[in-house]
Amino acid sequence: MEYKDYYATLGIDRGATADDIKKAYRKMVRKYHPDVSKHKDADAKTKEINEAYDVLGDLEKRAAYDALGRGHHAGEQFHPPPDWSEHFDFGGAGADDFFADLFAQAGRSRRGGGFQMRGDDIHAAITIDLADAYRGATRTVSLRVPKAEGPGRATMQEKTLSVNIPRGVTPGQQLRLAGQGHEGHGGAGPGDLYLEIQFAPDPRYRIEGSHVYENVPVTPWEAALGGSVAVPTPSGTVEVTIPSGSQSGRKLRLKGKGIPAATPGDLYLILDVVLPPANSDKARAIYQAMARDLAFNPRTA
Amino acid sequence: MFANQIVTGVLIDEVALDMDELARACQVEPDWVVRHVQAGVLGDTAALRFRSTDLARARRLLELERHFDADEELAALVIDLADEVRRLRARLHALGIRDT
Repeated sequence: MEYKDYYATLGIDRGATADDIKKAYRKMVRKYHPDVSKHKDADAKTKEINEAYDVLGDLEKRAAYDALGRGHHAGEQFHPPPDWSEHFDFGGAGADDFFADLFAQAGRSRRGGGFQMRGDDIHAAITIDLADAYRGATRTVSLRVPKAEGPGRATMQEKTLSVNIPRGVTPGQQLRLAGQGHEGHGGAGPGDLYLEIQFAPDPRYRIEGSHVYENVPVTPWEAALGGSVAVPTPSGTVEVTIPSGSQSGRKLRLKGKGIPAATPGDLYLILDVVLPPANSDKARAIYQAMARDLAFNPRTA
Repeated sequence: MFANQIVTGVLIDEVALDMDELARACQVEPDWVVRHVQAGVLGDTAALRFRSTDLARARRLLELERHFDADEELAALVIDLADEVRRLRARLHALGIRDT
């Protein structure tokens, strides 16, 4: 595995006090918080910062990490000695991070002896397409989990699950998969897996809760005179009547055509009036005729 | 690699979590949940049942409290503000307005 330098992640040196670490962490977490940061990789950065702090912010984990990391540099290949974790015991380190990998590789020999504990729950996210929410789907998710291999030994392994996505899910909903969390200890049952539903960005549709928004380009005459246009929607092409006298930005609501949740969402079509280019004599003549005959000034309307 | 299995879950908006399940999912004592429900910063005081938004909220509260030694009311205020920012951004995005 690759060595990760948690001190570098937090921008501190190895002699930092617990207080220095906390201060550095708070500063970094504020800087890269996904709700306020403009950095493109704010999410990934936040995850790294949290991972580093989970270890360095904990006296015992920090000691274990220090004992191991002497002389190593970020990105180097790294293999922990087989018996190095004798003095440390962190059980379900939980996160799918470098530190969890270390402890899984080093084994958990001290977990034996009648000790019983249900496995930890795992929290992860699964990304789906809008179409999946309309029709339901099976999507795969990959997780790094420790897998017991004989008494007291474990390795991190990739676990791939095919998950049934129920029809009607909306962003942020959590799917609970019983028994798919970390393995239990001493014969106790496994934890659960919680998957937060996220939607991949879609070039045409935008989602807000169970409602879906879509821009519909229309011609000036369709907007002015009204008419029927064919519009692609997540549930297939529909004929939509554009009311006469429409302007750009007008919202047409197709009730119940959003995500088919328990309370079905609506589909909003936002009209986008597109002008034909005045790039031919004929087009220019038509615009000039309108300018002359319509006596229209939108700034005095 | 494990054998690929097809698994079916339940949406916790349909089958809500009880207090012990929420506590376990957040790796906290049930007391923590009770305290936050009573303080009015988590879930619904009428029924100790928790849904997707409650689970996400509980985990964010916990993180703020742990990492910033934030008091539960302050953590809740920060999360409410962050949620409002997210809601407004989602609104802008839905309406096709770029947030620059």
